[in-house]
Amino acid sequence: MEFSIMDLAPAAAEIFLLAAICVILVVDLFVPDERRYLTYGLTQITLVVAALLTAAGIDSAPVYAFSGMFVGDAFSSVLKVGVCLTVAIGLVYSRSYLEPRGMYRGEYFVLALFATLGMMVMISANHFLALYLGLELLSLSLYAMVALARDSARSTEAAMKYFVLGALASGMLLYGMSMVYGATASLAIGDVIAAVQSGHANSTILKFGLVFIVAGIGFKLGAVPFHMWVPDVYHGAPTAVTLMIGTAPKLAAFAFIVRLLVESLGAEQLVVEWRQMLVLLSVASLVLGNVVAIAQTNLKRLLAYSTISHMGFLLLGVLSGTTEGYSAAMFYVSVYVIMGLGAFGMILLMSRKGYEAEELEDLKGLNQRHPWYAFVMLIIMFSMAGIPPTVGFWAKLSVLQAVISIGYVWLAVVAVLFSLVGAFYYLRVVKLMYFDEPAQREAMQVGVDSGVLMSANGIAVLALGMMPGALLAVCERAVTMSLRVAT
Amino acid sequence: MDFEKAAFYFFALILVLAALRVITARNPVHSALSLVLAFFTAAALWLLLEAEFLAIALVLVYVGAVMVLFLFVVMMLDINLDRLREGYWDYLVPALVVAGVMVLEMAVILGGRYFSLAQMPKPPAADPDYSNTRALGEVLYTEYVYAFEIAAVILLVAIVAAIGLTLRKRKDNKYQVPSRQISARRANRVRLVSMPSDKGDSGAAS
Amino acid sequence: MNMMSVCLVAALAPLAGAITAGLFGRQIGRAGAHWVTIIGVALSMIASAIALRDVMDGNLFNGTVYTWATSGGMRFEIGFLIDELSATMMLVVTFVSLMVHIYTIGYMADDPGYQRFFSYISLFTFSMMMLVMSNNFLQLFFGWEAVGLVSYLLIGFWYTRPTAIYANLKAFLVNRVGDFGFILGIALVLVYFGSLDYGEVFALAPGKATERIGAEIGVQWPLITAICICLFIGAMGKSAQFPLHVWLPDSMEGPTPISALIHAATMVTAGIFMVARMSPLYELSETALSLILIIGAITALFMGLLGIVQNDIKRVVAYSTLSQLGYMTVALGASAYSVAIFHLMTHAFFKALLFLAAGSVIIGMHHDQDMRHMGGLRRRMPITWITSLIGSLALIGFPFFSGFYSKESIIEAVHLSKTPAAGLAWIAVTVGVFITALYSFRMYFLVFEGKPRFEVHGSSDAQHGDDAHAHHGPVDPHESPAVVWWPLVALAVPSIVVGAIAIGPLLFGGYFGDSLQVLSKHDVVGKIGEHFHGWLAMGLHGFATVPFWLAAAGVALAWYLYLRRPDIPAKIQSAVRPLYNLLDQKYYMDRFNDWFFAGGARSVGGGLWRFGDVGVIDGVLVNGSAKLVAWLAGVARKVQSGFVYHYAFMMIIGVFVLMTWWFLHL
Repeated sequence: MEFSIMDLAPAAAEIFLLAAICVILVVDLFVPDERRYLTYGLTQITLVVAALLTAAGIDSAPVYAFSGMFVGDAFSSVLKVGVCLTVAIGLVYSRSYLEPRGMYRGEYFVLALFATLGMMVMISANHFLALYLGLELLSLSLYAMVALARDSARSTEAAMKYFVLGALASGMLLYGMSMVYGATASLAIGDVIAAVQSGHANSTILKFGLVFIVAGIGFKLGAVPFHMWVPDVYHGAPTAVTLMIGTAPKLAAFAFIVRLLVESLGAEQLVVEWRQMLVLLSVASLVLGNVVAIAQTNLKRLLAYSTISHMGFLLLGVLSGTTEGYSAAMFYVSVYVIMGLGAFGMILLMSRKGYEAEELEDLKGLNQRHPWYAFVMLIIMFSMAGIPPTVGFWAKLSVLQAVISIGYVWLAVVAVLFSLVGAFYYLRVVKLMYFDEPAQREAMQVGVDSGVLMSANGIAVLALGMMPGALLAVCERAVTMSLRVAT
Repeated sequence: MDFEKAAFYFFALILVLAALRVITARNPVHSALSLVLAFFTAAALWLLLEAEFLAIALVLVYVGAVMVLFLFVVMMLDINLDRLREGYWDYLVPALVVAGVMVLEMAVILGGRYFSLAQMPKPPAADPDYSNTRALGEVLYTEYVYAFEIAAVILLVAIVAAIGLTLRKRKDNKYQVPSRQISARRANRVRLVSMPSDKGDSGAAS
Repeated sequence: MNMMSVCLVAALAPLAGAITAGLFGRQIGRAGAHWVTIIGVALSMIASAIALRDVMDGNLFNGTVYTWATSGGMRFEIGFLIDELSATMMLVVTFVSLMVHIYTIGYMADDPGYQRFFSYISLFTFSMMMLVMSNNFLQLFFGWEAVGLVSYLLIGFWYTRPTAIYANLKAFLVNRVGDFGFILGIALVLVYFGSLDYGEVFALAPGKATERIGAEIGVQWPLITAICICLFIGAMGKSAQFPLHVWLPDSMEGPTPISALIHAATMVTAGIFMVARMSPLYELSETALSLILIIGAITALFMGLLGIVQNDIKRVVAYSTLSQLGYMTVALGASAYSVAIFHLMTHAFFKALLFLAAGSVIIGMHHDQDMRHMGGLRRRMPITWITSLIGSLALIGFPFFSGFYSKESIIEAVHLSKTPAAGLAWIAVTVGVFITALYSFRMYFLVFEGKPRFEVHGSSDAQHGDDAHAHHGPVDPHESPAVVWWPLVALAVPSIVVGAIAIGPLLFGGYFGDSLQVLSKHDVVGKIGEHFHGWLAMGLHGFATVPFWLAAAGVALAWYLYLRRPDIPAKIQSAVRPLYNLLDQKYYMDRFNDWFFAGGARSVGGGLWRFGDVGVIDGVLVNGSAKLVAWLAGVARKVQSGFVYHYAFMMIIGVFVLMTWWFLHL
């Protein structure tokens, strides 16, 4: 086999990212504290260049590299561009938060980049080994980032929980993968699906493995009953890290599900099996996420439970098992990431030195303090609740359509009912902002960069709601062009 | 009994004895050294099985790195031996039970229908110029280079995380900065003040 | 410039003005607000004129601007359909709107909500343009609701007045009733035609003429009739047809410019326009046409009667609007869609004129609206006087004035119509001519002729509680400023001539082409056309018709009762007290609505509150769900203990559940 350097071209973005990380690691050593913006700037440039490199492959048919362990296709390109930009935007929001808290250090940015690399590896994985290693790379970086606020007992505890439970989930996932390997004698996704479809693989072992794989996925998504880490980690982690955990990794987790369940185990006899399991997880997440969120007084915890319910919605799209369902789920997760960026970003913008604006009380009377940001938050909350004309409405609608198309009308009804319950706490946030007297009257101090981005973020939620066609089309195209959906 | 078998029993005997010494020696340094011996003999056994690479790796990694590190720890920390010994006899009975169960399990597997020696045909002998180090390397650096690199990155993350989480400049420590000491100039340290000579009457009164 | 950009300018220029004036009103100041909105509307009018010229050249346009969403095979789009009908409407809307914008500068000069007002009326113009230009039901509905919203905002513009709040609430609620029917109609279209696009629906309609629906609930309703009636209910709400007319007189609580723009010239005609637009559907349902005829006839006659007893100058004009809307509706029912649109157009001009003239009088009277306090204003306000006279003559259908041509055509069309109930409607509209003349000239004589009554009324204001806000001291009326009378003149010109100019081409020249569809058996306009020999002949012949003599009789009676013998009305009033009360109380409809609907709704609500709310909702749903939430949260809190091993245990339980699930399946 002749090897040429061009064989690695599909993975150019990942290779660039890794090289840049090493450079930044070294450069950061020689940067004094007051010039830390150099590290920050390099990180942003790296992310943008990685996004551009990825975007170059957005139209291509699937290409493989590294002996078929890596696949570059439209699906992965779209998600990877999303991941890079999400992390970049998240870092912009985080900057003013990190500085007064002693976290504005090289490690933070390097770990964020490592996490990005892990996500990209996951998204582009064409082999169980790559999937797993990408996941571990992401998780390890996130564990460390949660623990980075060393002096906060809450953060350290959250990191420990995240780590222990993550290890447990990884164990389950590996166990499931090993079962699949036992049944199909391969770890390469293409070979696995071929073996599954041929019908020669031992179906008992396959299904046994499937249970554990679904459990591992459930943990990554934070679906009930594997959700226990979500509220504690979201609450305990420094808000900047919560933003990091709550946004981009959801894109990677979605790709992870698609690679594992759809591309590897998407044969008809297995789809029936995992559909049942996902229905279970999804309904439990919708119920628990929405109901328990009502009782929360902490905004970060509230958003954590809201994430759980959103992941329930995401699963609805996946469990339909149709191409439309996958593109609906992809649309949903993209929309969720945009909304999550806005919501967590808003907490970051409202925080100051020595003051975390993470209680619901802190939002009181935001309209009087800063009407524009109150309006942006209003749009985001409406979107999360799924109220038209925001994009959240379309996200929910497309997912529900996918569910109805396979005849699960009752499931759609349950989802709608509980998103109505969910609307309660989103609207309560709006009520606090607009109808309550502010507890404090100081104006928010927001940097130009994060202010502009936050405005754009809010407008994007609204504009996408007015014209969702483009993003929907991107998702649909990515799914139909790239995914090897067995039907 | 050919030479191969004789060598096996020889090394096996040493291995068992060394392992026993690990748990019976009173001095932890002795225990650690016995463990080194056990690893070493195990490596010799693997050589007999033609697993040269694993054998070398065992010696390099466990003997060369892990155990030496362990010895350092044992020697540097003042471990209270008596406290370690406490409850040795209390744990003996459960330990024996656990060991017994393990032996039983092994026996079931090895003597069972599926895994007995009869079911395990002897692998074909390798070519004389076959090197499993090379074979491993070939797979690792071609087919699995991607996974290998990512694993390496994960280790790098671990290093970064470990340093990031533990390294801190203590504010209450006093330490010297040689470069600053060397670059000190007289002007920085000594200030010459010219004062009018004191006549003694006006200043002293106040 | 291609048609698409023309359309976009026509629709979006007022929106841009509205946004600028609304959001940045404080920055750009009062002058900035009126300039930016007037320029926006002027641009829109120019674009409309270009569009009309293009349409005259035969370049129709039907295109999608933007697909909002595709859902389950359904497309939701924003699109424009520019044909003779919509181009005509666009020009009428933008012209009247521009006049009103200019007029507002004078009328609202001292109002603190100046910028807000300009923003609203520009927003209204945008909404109305979206409604008129739409090529599909969705956008029609958007425009429909948007004009309703702006109307609601404007009626309550002086939101500190309780009467204004009451009026806008009433308008809102009554329109809800209509909109409910409207959206039902759209839903029926969507379900049975599978499309919201006009073109597609109209193309499919003849094939569905005999289709019946309702088998599920044991009835056999003709599909098209059901759709038409539902849509017409919407039109009844928006165009204030009996019995959903009650909101329109009260809407006079809003500032006069919007009474002219929204509640006379444009928005209330949206229902007329919609029915005309849907002519391919209505033609297929004789039942719906009959219903339209009856409703229109009732409105035309009985609302006119109410105008006779009103004392508030704006209310007289408002009832006159109701009556004229009834005429248009009757024309629709007689399948004379082009005549309805023709009357809509002439009415837009002369009614806007009358309203703005009334506004001018109100300015002169220092915001006193009671006609009993006026009189003899013709010398003090000459321009207002002459333009009012023109408007009144046009309204009563005096030959050669614009109203004559359109109203005469309506009466003729109804006369020729074979649709059931046409005979009844003909009587109503013919008698209506007399009534119209009576109340119009009653108003004219009370306001402009006779002796001034305003110097002496200063102390006796106790009985007019309804205009307690007005200024009641001695007043000295004089002509309004130029920004006020200039639009009056600009509107007076078309009020005179547009009928004579347009009747030939509009009704008989095939102007509307394919945009209005009439079955040959309903084609009354064609039959009128056989006897039409030009506007001059028609005008001359007009002096010899029954309606003319009825109108003349009405004027004469008004002159006798209110100028010659002003003591008689009071005597009549006391002689036929019950009849007077019936009229004064507007047939007791408001009372009835308040008692039956509002009161009924309140007692039903009270009952539901006691049983449903307190019992079921509070007891079971609210407290129950609160308890459920509390319970679930409690459980969750117990599980969410913070201990890692609890969490791990939970995860293992989860795996166990999944495993069991799978085993049970096996």
